[in-house]
Amino acid sequence: MSQPGRNILVVRDVCKSFPGVKALDRVSIQVPSGVVYGIVGENGAGKSTLMKILSGVYEKDSGTIEFDGKVIERTTPIQALRRGLSIIYQEFNLVNTMSVGENIYLGRFREMGGMRGVHKKARALLDSIGSRISTYAKVGDLSASEMQIVEITKALSFDSRLIIMDEPSSSLTSEELKRLGKIINQLRDKGISTIYISHKLDEIFEYCDIVTVMRDGCVIDSRPVSEMSRSEMIEKMVGRTIDNEYPPRMHCVGGPLLEIKNLTTRKLHDVSFTLNRGEILGFVGLVGAGRTEIVRAIYGADKVRSHTLHLQGKQTRVRNPKEAMVAGMGLLPEDRKREGLILPFSVEANITMASLDRLTRHGIIDRSKEKEIGERQIKNLNIKTPSAQTRTHSLSGGNQQKCIVGRWLELDPQILILDEPTRGIDVGAKYEIYTLMNRIVEAGGSIIMISSELPEVLNMSNRVLTICEGRVTGEFNPETASAAEIMSRAIG
Amino acid sequence: MRNENKLLRFINQNLVLLGIIVLVTVTAVIQPKFLMTRNLTNILRQMTSLAFVALGMTFVIIGGFIDLSVVGMVSLVSVITASLINPIGQVGALLCGLLAGALLGYLNGTILTKFGATIQAEVLFITYGMSSVFIAVGLLVTNAETLRIARSTRPYDMFTAIGSGSFLGIPISILIFAVILAIMYFFQTRTLAGRSISLMGGNKTAAYLCGFNINRTMQMVYTINGLMSAFGSIVLMSRVTTATATLGTGYEANAILCVVVGGTTLAGGKGNVLRTLLGVFLITLLSNCMNLLGLSTYMQTVMNGAVLVTAIWLDNRKRL
Repeated sequence: MSQPGRNILVVRDVCKSFPGVKALDRVSIQVPSGVVYGIVGENGAGKSTLMKILSGVYEKDSGTIEFDGKVIERTTPIQALRRGLSIIYQEFNLVNTMSVGENIYLGRFREMGGMRGVHKKARALLDSIGSRISTYAKVGDLSASEMQIVEITKALSFDSRLIIMDEPSSSLTSEELKRLGKIINQLRDKGISTIYISHKLDEIFEYCDIVTVMRDGCVIDSRPVSEMSRSEMIEKMVGRTIDNEYPPRMHCVGGPLLEIKNLTTRKLHDVSFTLNRGEILGFVGLVGAGRTEIVRAIYGADKVRSHTLHLQGKQTRVRNPKEAMVAGMGLLPEDRKREGLILPFSVEANITMASLDRLTRHGIIDRSKEKEIGERQIKNLNIKTPSAQTRTHSLSGGNQQKCIVGRWLELDPQILILDEPTRGIDVGAKYEIYTLMNRIVEAGGSIIMISSELPEVLNMSNRVLTICEGRVTGEFNPETASAAEIMSRAIG
Repeated sequence: MRNENKLLRFINQNLVLLGIIVLVTVTAVIQPKFLMTRNLTNILRQMTSLAFVALGMTFVIIGGFIDLSVVGMVSLVSVITASLINPIGQVGALLCGLLAGALLGYLNGTILTKFGATIQAEVLFITYGMSSVFIAVGLLVTNAETLRIARSTRPYDMFTAIGSGSFLGIPISILIFAVILAIMYFFQTRTLAGRSISLMGGNKTAAYLCGFNINRTMQMVYTINGLMSAFGSIVLMSRVTTATATLGTGYEANAILCVVVGGTTLAGGKGNVLRTLLGVFLITLLSNCMNLLGLSTYMQTVMNGAVLVTAIWLDNRKRL
């Protein structure tokens, strides 16, 4: 066991290059035992690369890594695990069809003395962090936060002394986040260190003892959290001063544009609301409350039992995305990698894919116009990409998101639906997305925005609807209502 | 260092072409007969029917699916065409054959979309099942007998021309293929319909949310494959001058082999019909070489399997 005060992990001058980019430039950090160590930085700052080197997915070019006093030359993910270093990725590594206990001890059933031992030991571990999840429950039936607890328990089962959590909160509601915070505190009490990577600065301030700011592959600063202010941290991350996290709110709301009445599906009950011209309408609710289902139903992507949709006072039928697009809608889906982008395709192809219809004469695509559109949106949105032909999977999250925004801007939609537009993207890119939203409403468009980040919705929207269990439970003016008031309605 | 990388990249990107060159050189040295015009023309003739089927299969695989029913389609189309020659004449029979192929493909696409087959395993088994149905229908129609296409006699001379005729020294079947290939290449690279196939293969959900009709695209892909299989069937039938209800045996595996060797990824989205042609070249050359070198049929099967596995391995390595 490591003593408190000792460094569990020492990284010295680690460098790593990929063809064309220096991903890590002489990075050094020291993680003491029993602390929560925050790492912040914009996408592309090198956080993930560093974690992948620690866990053995990548090999470092130079520098030294000491774990628990021993120099580690090269490692593989399973060796790292056995040494006591676990990593919990944003996308969980769990087998949905197997039970909680089986997942925790996956591949080690024999060592545990068969299934009975597996469940017994898993139970003990879960108890030790105060979780009451049944070890026999199927992982696929668990909520996101419960899955995360399973991941943490799995890490504990390897006697991990350092647990790296990569964006642990991205799929959690604020309630679940509190529970995660409790567990992290318990880990600290046991002398287990946590590296907490997050874009959400609130969480860094709440949970972390020490924080390292990274930018462009370098460590900019490492300090106790108590010695760094929020604005200082943002400044260091982006390398410039951001006076405000949000641009000023737009006030260009006009008359009603879209009226939805009695929208009912398998998950939604009698949802009615109006979207006005030039308005940003925010949807607030827990994950799974039905926010995404509402916008998908309006967009024609899901089956609807009954509803009426009036667009500019005229009843309109939207039975599939094509008809939604014809009616002037655009959708930026929740999961940009699975539903938004075609990752192996070029930036240009991803931008133009919704407007190909307009570029086609007699069935033939006008390639030069297509190029024009790609270039135009890359410039318009300031998408950082080596070229229009670069595949989108090599872009950072923010730039990927901008490709999808550009796709819709090209169509000049009246109604743009943004489902978690800033999930997993960095502060600088977030600000750019906000500015874009303002540009859209200024030009007369309307936006429906779904976000799990309450401050974001409150600062960007003209009006907020709370959604709970498939119903609209409240309507607020975010300039006058308090966050607590809104949240209490969203929880139901 | 940089030059070395460039060379490696060039080799990596043109592996198939290099493979063809190596194969030609080695075989020509060991067996000079290989380079005789007659052998080369022969190879081209053998290649055409497979090339047609592989061409259609390229679209299916770019679209993110697979079609094992080409065996059944090639077989059934040959039976339909051959048995229609006497009643309605050869031109009518040819057109009916092509139409039948397209319809069989459309039937595949419709069944897949209607039954909501979304995962590869379902598509695999449904098309496999359809193949058995097509073969069985052919057996019922022909009573499991072989239909002969008499050479050069009046109602059959068009098929003889397709099977063994030449124009300016180039086999007619190759000329037909070149025209269709050019059309399909244009279709794939320049038209909206062609693009919609690769978008669907790249990410079905994203394409759907951008207004593409996935069901219709799927039906189109399978219809194209049916039509191409029909072309392949007619060329094959003309060359071997017989039509049977099992004529297409082995074509599904070989077509997929050619597509993958050509560099179209089984993951969908990316691919190119011209590259498939290189794949067809390589595979046909390989089998010709092995014949000339006197390898047994069993050994040849082993080789084909090894090539397929290697191609998939190389493709996966490229994707990392």
